[in-house]
Amino acid sequence: MPHVILLLAALQVSAPEQQAKHLPPSPIDRIEVTPANPTVEAQDSLLLRARALDARGNPVEGARLRFVPAGGRFEGLVQENGLVRSGATGTLPVTVVALVPGTAPVTRTLDVAMVPAPPARIEIDGAPERLVAGQRAHAAARSWSRHGDPRSDRFAWRSSAPNVVRVTDDGVMTALAPGRATITASAGAATETVTVEVIPNSIASMELRPATASALTGDVIRFGIDVRDEAGQPVRGLTPTWSFTPGHGMIEADGAFVGYEAGSYTIVANLGDRSATATVRLAPRDVRRPAEVVGRLPRTRFTTEEVWLHPNGRNLYLGTGRGGDVLYAVDVSDPSNPVVTDSLVANTRRVNDVMTTPDGRFLVHTREGAADRRNGIVIASLEDPAHPRVIAEFTQDVTAGVHSAFVYRQERFGTHVYLTNNGTATMHVVDINDPYHPREVGRWRAPSVFGGGSLHDIDVQDGLAYLSNWNEGLIILDVGNGVKGGSPSNPQLVSQYRYDLNDLYRQVEATGGPGFIRGTHTAWRHRDYVFIADEVFPASPVQGARDAAAGRAYGRLQVIDVSDLEEPRSVAWYEPEYGGVHNVWVAGDTLYLGAYNAGFRTFDISGELRGDLRAQQREMVHVNIADMDAHEAGRNTALTWGVVARDGLAYVNDINSGLWIVRMLPRTPPPMHP
Amino acid sequence: MKLQASGVRRRASVRGAAAFVALFSFSACAGAGAGAGAGAEPGPPARDYLVFVASEATDQVALVRFGPGGARVERRYEVGIHPTDPDGPHGVAVAPDGRHYYVTTGHGVPYGYIWKYTTDGAQPVGRAELGMFPASLDVSPDGHYAYVVNFNLFGAMVPSSVSVVSTDEMVEVARLTTCTMPHGSRLDASGAHHYSACMMEDFVVDIDTRTFEIARHFRVMPRAERGYSGAPAAMHHHQPPGEPTTTRCSPTWVTPTPDGARLFVACNAHDDIVEIDVASWRMLRRIPAGEGVYNLDITHDGETLIATNKRGRSVSLFDVASGRELARIATQRPVVHGVTVSDDDRYAFISVEGVGSEPGTVEVIDLAARRRVASVDVGQMAGGIDFWRSEEGVR
Repeated sequence: MPHVILLLAALQVSAPEQQAKHLPPSPIDRIEVTPANPTVEAQDSLLLRARALDARGNPVEGARLRFVPAGGRFEGLVQENGLVRSGATGTLPVTVVALVPGTAPVTRTLDVAMVPAPPARIEIDGAPERLVAGQRAHAAARSWSRHGDPRSDRFAWRSSAPNVVRVTDDGVMTALAPGRATITASAGAATETVTVEVIPNSIASMELRPATASALTGDVIRFGIDVRDEAGQPVRGLTPTWSFTPGHGMIEADGAFVGYEAGSYTIVANLGDRSATATVRLAPRDVRRPAEVVGRLPRTRFTTEEVWLHPNGRNLYLGTGRGGDVLYAVDVSDPSNPVVTDSLVANTRRVNDVMTTPDGRFLVHTREGAADRRNGIVIASLEDPAHPRVIAEFTQDVTAGVHSAFVYRQERFGTHVYLTNNGTATMHVVDINDPYHPREVGRWRAPSVFGGGSLHDIDVQDGLAYLSNWNEGLIILDVGNGVKGGSPSNPQLVSQYRYDLNDLYRQVEATGGPGFIRGTHTAWRHRDYVFIADEVFPASPVQGARDAAAGRAYGRLQVIDVSDLEEPRSVAWYEPEYGGVHNVWVAGDTLYLGAYNAGFRTFDISGELRGDLRAQQREMVHVNIADMDAHEAGRNTALTWGVVARDGLAYVNDINSGLWIVRMLPRTPPPMHP
Repeated sequence: MKLQASGVRRRASVRGAAAFVALFSFSACAGAGAGAGAGAEPGPPARDYLVFVASEATDQVALVRFGPGGARVERRYEVGIHPTDPDGPHGVAVAPDGRHYYVTTGHGVPYGYIWKYTTDGAQPVGRAELGMFPASLDVSPDGHYAYVVNFNLFGAMVPSSVSVVSTDEMVEVARLTTCTMPHGSRLDASGAHHYSACMMEDFVVDIDTRTFEIARHFRVMPRAERGYSGAPAAMHHHQPPGEPTTTRCSPTWVTPTPDGARLFVACNAHDDIVEIDVASWRMLRRIPAGEGVYNLDITHDGETLIATNKRGRSVSLFDVASGRELARIATQRPVVHGVTVSDDDRYAFISVEGVGSEPGTVEVIDLAARRRVASVDVGQMAGGIDFWRSEEGVR
């Protein structure tokens, strides 16, 4: 067939392959942007201006200029006229496009620094109310903007009576003579003062209580001082300067010490020229233990999403993602042999969240990616928990999808679903007292959230809703507790805990560039703590890599002390060396964590919590939740979602590989040596 | 795999298309038995045809190969930024030079992107942030610009926009507010006009690509068809009393004829296709169509119009000259979505979403035989689809 070959050769020549024509060069040589180093306060706006200039520096006639976002979609908005609205602190990349129609566009990308608003509130930590003459104490100040964004100000310190108390530029106070002085820390227009009384140094004796202590790494030991004058009378109200040696750990101004490593520590308290010591002997916490995989239910058709155990402990429900329209009902009465008993198939491509009513009679699951775009939630009857039966759905105004839903019953108000609206970052409250006829009764949206915000998860305990509100941090609402007069239909803000995500994840920006994914992702109230976990992914993958090599999760779990509900404060944290954090479950003194690439982990959270939980050896179990019986998207790679714990078993779901039932085994005693 | 005699997507070049078809027909007659008449038994393809299709529910783009050996997925590529939440690829378009393809994502998160990938290896080249729910897209004949409709189905019915993206820089150079739920857009062969449908306002919008301005719009509502100058938003403020305001057409797609003289608009709610004369900006006719007619494409010779029937679970072939429906071909699965025609006008490739966990499907229709000749499963919710190229067949 030589003629065919010739024709094919001719075809190659005459094939209609189109070469992109080059646009004529633009007469624009450069784009001038003012301000040159744009900076905008969080929650504020800035108008950028630009000029298109030719090679001689003259404005180009007819050039069209517009501003477009180049990342940071959750953090800020960019309008085409150059108006930048900042929703959070961070870096907002903006591209300026200059175009003369018919010629090639000219672009310039710049970073807008979104910084906290001026300092509006200062807190002074570690400033004693009373000093003895000769005592030194370091007062530390922290500041926040009026929006609650943490700042890193350099403070100006001043003493109202320098002859009584001298204070340095770094806040180090020296008590010089008896009297009173007001110490002021100021930054911008914000000031905060503390009054310090200096008493004569009549200390005859000083002891630390306890003088000796034996404890475990991670235990918080609270030290106090017993100071007496020559008459043996106690001298009250004094706060020493604390230090310890050697080893790793922390001691705070209130005398709370936590050591990270086993060994002997000397705790030192100083009051002027007096000091006292105590000895602490820390033994290893020794909570590390083996685990066994009791049962396994691989899921390979879809990725696996939320896991939920029925109150009866025998039936379990598994969501699906990545095209999943199935909610699996699984019989786990024999944990070594979990069996799918039934499934609900819904018009969705993701069942991200599932939860039962407290009485176990009904189940709610979320929908994202429905073929008819209606999404919302589905309610099913659990008359037979092994065979859920759909009885209703709720879709009103949640067409963008529902990511999370929390079912909560209050004696006074009945049962409601608190769900997240993917499109508007709004919490919708749906009354399901008649589960066959769900109806919305309330909504709440963080006032500072703008178009790009996100509400990721909701936890409700004791009439308080804990919203994981991404850049807005943790938000606590009264939805029936009464502390602020709230109810399900009228949620009331109690408090908000925001933190500096940019500072926390500086390494992620350094690795993958600005505009990375990060925010408060989940929250769990337990005792006086709320455990919050961040979801963090880099903005771009490792260049040239694919599959598991291309990216990874990051993230930190923080322990927020809410003993004062209106003043939440972070007291402890956990961050795996690799892999991120995701969903939390707490039962008794054990915290269970699905930690994305870091697999499944559990922690001993007994007692008071302070400092770095990993460093102090509170981690009990780590199982790399990965095998080859997995969805094609991630074989042999952990992407662990979360866990439900009950009766000594952890029901762990992994996005890639399905259900794992894990038991923590008793700690293996150290070998006996003759 | 040899890459001889490669023909690429060429929506813009009518003259080139004719030359290619002639050569291919000869080649096919010489050895492959193609080029059968209407209703004839389909012969096996002599060449391999490659199309890209996006699966919104699985964050994947599949490269489908159809040839003498049947249809198969050559490779699946991951799309998106978020490893655990859905990015939702929807629209796909191959650059005219065939070296890159573009994907829109954004179903499920507030803002969407357009991504640029190499066709050979799917290496990401760049991305640009766009508006709410970017959906269908098209690339200008010179390859320098991509036009993307920001569909925005976030509940509130508010006017949305068409984004114009410089594909060299991968930056949005213009965003034009058009109407509520813009959808189904196509450029004409010259690249001078971009047409998009307004699903919730019964309009078609004409953007002058030389100025990036809305030149005019056309109301496609049954019994109220009329052309207007300027943007729809301007018209709303001067709407004559008594004019109907409800949506009865719900246009979901608009495609120009290869010569750019006429437009075909799919009226999804009214089950017909509106034909508009571009020069006079008047309606020529309404052509009855299948149930839920959704996406359209037209052969390069301008003779056959292919329409997907989203609710009707079928694909219709129309004779453009007469408006007669030549065939209605049932699809294997429901929710029929997109269509793209091969470079030689021999095949139409249809994307079918399926429902729930049903796989998405690419079905191949022999336009001469008017029959489905192959199908292959792809990721769920298969939507955007575009032809890449044909090449010497691999058996």
